[in-house]
Amino acid sequence: MTNRRYVSKPGAGLELAELFRALGSLAEPPTPAAQRLADVLDLGPFPAEADHTELFLFQLIPYASVYLGPEGMLGGEARDLIAGFWRALSLEPPAEPDHLAVMLAFYAGLTEEEAGAEDPGGRTAWRRARKAFLWEHLLSWLPPYLDSAGEHAPPFYRRWARLLEDALREEAIALGEQERLSLHLREAPGVADPREESPEAFVASLLSPARSGMILTRMDIGRAGRELDLGTRAGERRFVLRGLLERDPAGMLEWLRSEAAGWVERHGRDDPLAPQIAAFWRRQAESTADLLAALRPGPE
Amino acid sequence: MDLKRVSQRVSAARAETEARGETFYPGASRIHLASFPPKERWDDWVELDSKAWPERVERRYMLVPTTCFNCEAACGLLAYVDRESLQVRKFEGNPEHPASRGRNCAKGPATLNQVTDPDRILHPLKRAGRRGEGKWVRAEWDEVLEELADRIRSAIQEGRHGEIMYHVGRPGEDGFTERTLAAWGVDGHNSHTNVCSSSARAGYQLWCGMDRPSPDHANADVILLVSSHLETGHYFNPHAQRIIEGKERGAKLVVFDTRLSNTATHADFWLPTVPGSEAAVLLSIANHLIQNNLYDRDFVRRWWNWQEYLEEERPDLEGTFEEFERELRSIYDTYTFDFAAAESGLEADIIAEVAATVAAAGTRLSTYTWRSATSGNEGGWQVARALFLLNALLGAVGTEGGLYPNAWNKFVPRPIRLPRHPEHWNELNWPQEYPLSMYELSFLLPHLLKDGRGKLDVYFTRVYNPVWTNPDGFSWIEALTNEQLVGLHVALTPTWNETAYFADYILPMGLGAERHDLHSYETHDGQWIGFRQPVLRTARQRLGEKVGDTRETNPGEVWEENEFWLELSWRIDPDGSLGIREFVESRENPGRRLTVDEYYAYIFENSVPGLPEAASAEGLTPLEYMRRYGAFELQNRIGPLHETAIEGRELKDIAEHPRGRVYTRVQAPTPLNFVPTGAPDPDIEGRRAVGVRVDGTVLRGFPTPSGLLEFYSPTAASWGWPEYALPTYIRSHVHPDALAEDEMVLISTFRLPVQIHTRSANSKWLDEIAHTNPLWIHPKDARGVGVATGDLVRVETEIGHFVLKTWVTEGIRPGVVACSHHMGRWKLADHGQRQLMATVALGHEKDRWRIDLEAGAQSYESGDPDTGRIWWTDVGVHQNLTFPVHPDPVSGMHCWHQAVRVRKADPADRYGDIQVDTEASHRVFKAWLTKTRPASEHSPDGNRRPHWLIRPVKPTKEAYRLPPSPSAR
Repeated sequence: MTNRRYVSKPGAGLELAELFRALGSLAEPPTPAAQRLADVLDLGPFPAEADHTELFLFQLIPYASVYLGPEGMLGGEARDLIAGFWRALSLEPPAEPDHLAVMLAFYAGLTEEEAGAEDPGGRTAWRRARKAFLWEHLLSWLPPYLDSAGEHAPPFYRRWARLLEDALREEAIALGEQERLSLHLREAPGVADPREESPEAFVASLLSPARSGMILTRMDIGRAGRELDLGTRAGERRFVLRGLLERDPAGMLEWLRSEAAGWVERHGRDDPLAPQIAAFWRRQAESTADLLAALRPGPE
Repeated sequence: MDLKRVSQRVSAARAETEARGETFYPGASRIHLASFPPKERWDDWVELDSKAWPERVERRYMLVPTTCFNCEAACGLLAYVDRESLQVRKFEGNPEHPASRGRNCAKGPATLNQVTDPDRILHPLKRAGRRGEGKWVRAEWDEVLEELADRIRSAIQEGRHGEIMYHVGRPGEDGFTERTLAAWGVDGHNSHTNVCSSSARAGYQLWCGMDRPSPDHANADVILLVSSHLETGHYFNPHAQRIIEGKERGAKLVVFDTRLSNTATHADFWLPTVPGSEAAVLLSIANHLIQNNLYDRDFVRRWWNWQEYLEEERPDLEGTFEEFERELRSIYDTYTFDFAAAESGLEADIIAEVAATVAAAGTRLSTYTWRSATSGNEGGWQVARALFLLNALLGAVGTEGGLYPNAWNKFVPRPIRLPRHPEHWNELNWPQEYPLSMYELSFLLPHLLKDGRGKLDVYFTRVYNPVWTNPDGFSWIEALTNEQLVGLHVALTPTWNETAYFADYILPMGLGAERHDLHSYETHDGQWIGFRQPVLRTARQRLGEKVGDTRETNPGEVWEENEFWLELSWRIDPDGSLGIREFVESRENPGRRLTVDEYYAYIFENSVPGLPEAASAEGLTPLEYMRRYGAFELQNRIGPLHETAIEGRELKDIAEHPRGRVYTRVQAPTPLNFVPTGAPDPDIEGRRAVGVRVDGTVLRGFPTPSGLLEFYSPTAASWGWPEYALPTYIRSHVHPDALAEDEMVLISTFRLPVQIHTRSANSKWLDEIAHTNPLWIHPKDARGVGVATGDLVRVETEIGHFVLKTWVTEGIRPGVVACSHHMGRWKLADHGQRQLMATVALGHEKDRWRIDLEAGAQSYESGDPDTGRIWWTDVGVHQNLTFPVHPDPVSGMHCWHQAVRVRKADPADRYGDIQVDTEASHRVFKAWLTKTRPASEHSPDGNRRPHWLIRPVKPTKEAYRLPPSPSAR
């Protein structure tokens, strides 16, 4: 169903191209050369490299494939789909087409192509491409990603996330809503049921945002350990989560259920960036919460 | 917030910054696996020193490309040369290399271990005691060159050309040494090919006139491998990348492998055939295509020499294509799935399913075999014939996703000054018993010497280790220690090897980062050249230093071969009277010796289309371009060259064979690409074979006598093997019917992904990963023998036995055992590579030889602290010593599979024991010799060998003529 607010306005959009490129560039490590950029955007004191590493390497790795692919990992079909978008425009995709910096620069480029097209047919074609990229590959994952960044990031990057969210909202309004749900999400399965599949598959699917409807960062999992008074073991998220589930299955299942329920709320909040997409994420989180509730051990 | 205003602010800031000539957007700075330093920054690349962690210490590098010298694939490497110390600190992939595309296997980066190996040979060595005694003194290059030049000059002046032999293991550069030998007028090129790939080559050459396959795996729908090709096959890294790309596109992977190799684990169909039955299975698939009309009729009609078959073999039939199709059905109708199942031990249903899969591939069937079944079995060359038959039936030849002949996907540039064909024929390499052999009968050399067929005055082994690698190594030791048979043995090698112990001189040669070579391989449907170079020499030159020869920048006195051969040739003929000097004399500076810079500059400027233009676009000379990027892609997507129409200006005074072969008086344009291919004979009036008429048009066709794909090989038929003229199934020497009840088949040829023959033992990283070779044995057989994993067994061959440990695994067929290549390296005393060579005692009483293990690998102190951390002692057992020679009577290939008895070791047996009777091995040699059909009895034209077949250093046509006596024996 088309949301009435999102009706395309002709000629809009070029104004934000530079902003998208700038915001993308700030997802790269904060070299001194980026200082000027940060100043122009008025995002506050320039972050230390460690802040960038903590956010983008340890907590919220900025690759679309991680959030859109059923594996919850870098690459795979999700990255191929994004690379395919480049190819469809007869462009050679870069090595990492799903990195946020690349995607935002690409989006800016599409906007500029549209503005620069000399004939109306060309303009329409570029507009179509730009709109498709926005809905298929950006809005499909950035709302929960930026939401999570708002929670975990240091102040500079929190402001960065907010600004990006605002810019995306303005674009979504300007271009109008896409009727069909993003292809990435249309076929996303839910969380693997450990009664039918292996514990590894269960844990992996919990950590795949497109399947579970929630983003569990290392910080989140660390919080689980603290809340349940369980020591966490050093290792990647799967290993840590598996370890927690083995030591206190009932406690962890409940913790995860409440996390999923929290994400149901977050996806369902008022004025979502992309309502149809938010509804998808909400459904996934609801299914996850239901499954986790069903898995809780019954009374003895 | 007004976002538009923010965006405008950014634009304004950008415009202002860029107006100052500065960069506003810093660009991507993240590091990821697929990232490479941009080539614009190769001169000064900054990285943090990982060893300095947690300190942030920056290192500045110059990145200099070269190619790997481990396996033949010659993948691109980038040497990270520290700008301060001018030492190589690491090797990574070269993203500019069209075949490897920046990705390498473990052996590429391990080049660093080889360069810094504390046990490497740094100076020329001369033996001090008896040959093989293990005593060495340092020699001077000058003294070595003088002695060699004197001996070779004398041999040439005295007409003893046949006493000079160069025996190559790992080829370096296409054609360089062949050119050197031809300049000397010597037919002395000997290769390792007959212990490696001759049978595969024979199969391909007889079909299409070119002797290697070039599959387009990346675009195939079905990939059929008769090998463990994803992990160790030829060009495996470039091919593996493309097989995986094919799989990502949804291609099905079919793997024939008796063992559960890593490749088999990636297959959709794993076919663990009884060794030697592969051709039977392939022919049953072919039969399925034929009986069900699933083949490409038009391709078969246009491109097979079916008419020739009918005329020569079935003159009773009407010569129509329809008649041929009926005949084709009857030729293969006995190859049913049930027959194939009975031969191979597979289930008929599975074979049927594979056949349906192959049929569905159409022209997108890529197939490959190289060693594996072809090199294991007598008649293995028919495995390649049977495999190619599938492509030929489906028309999957020269198609996207199909199979290309290698010569279309390879470019060997014409060098400066081409020598004449030698006027001599070397009977030791090309004995008359093997007129159809693909390459030299190299592994028979000790037996031929012992039989008095000749002797050697100067014998070079060059990056080759026949004592270890070849079968029957004790016979090699006997020959090499006999100074009557081998006057002077010179081992050119970058590292210690078992053969070098029996040399008079050991001459240290450069590794991948210390030498020049130019090469091109059929890794995909494209053409590229790769340039190996001494990276420190190039780095110093780039910094403005003047560097003479490569010894100035290599460690110790390590040299490179190309400069060595140029210098040696120069000294052999100082005054030009032998006609050799002209080929090594500078054009730019007459009177002076050709340098490697001039040699390559000439090639890059004159013989590589497109390279001068690409270089000039960057303001570089072609040589500078190659030194900077290390590779150049001439063409991508070659397509079906056989379908190319021959232009009218090439067709003057033509003659046409009734079956379509077209000959012309117009001379061939001077080729720039010297890739070896078949060279069909001219017609009786001397016209050149230029093409073949197909459906009325003269097309380029294939370099076979007929110009077509030779389903029927008139060459095999007329040289004594009419029963094998069609793709067929020859029962192996290890066919179950040929085995005694208590015998099993030993597969000894399989390789480990991180080692390469005997040349990577000087890589500590690789040795730590793989350092031993237990006997793979199925649990059922292990129960029969009464052993468990780790127990000692004695493996008995026809001529001796070896003792090793078992590994009980279901990853191998019952009735078959397997033991990997690479392992069981040994040294006699202190000299050697201590990380992967055990110390042994070598002894014999007359013909009865033995090796007893004295000590395994141990930790030791050296300049490299890692040698003190060696934790492994077991370095495996040298099985090849116990194998007699098995020369295939047609291809000349050593048939590696062994019929063995496996039993529990005796109480007195010790791990690593080896015993062999060389008298027995000579008897086996004689027995296999009786299977041959010598040219003296079967040559249809008085030649020693069909002239059209590929042969290194082709002698003159006169030298091809058989001598008047029936045999030179």
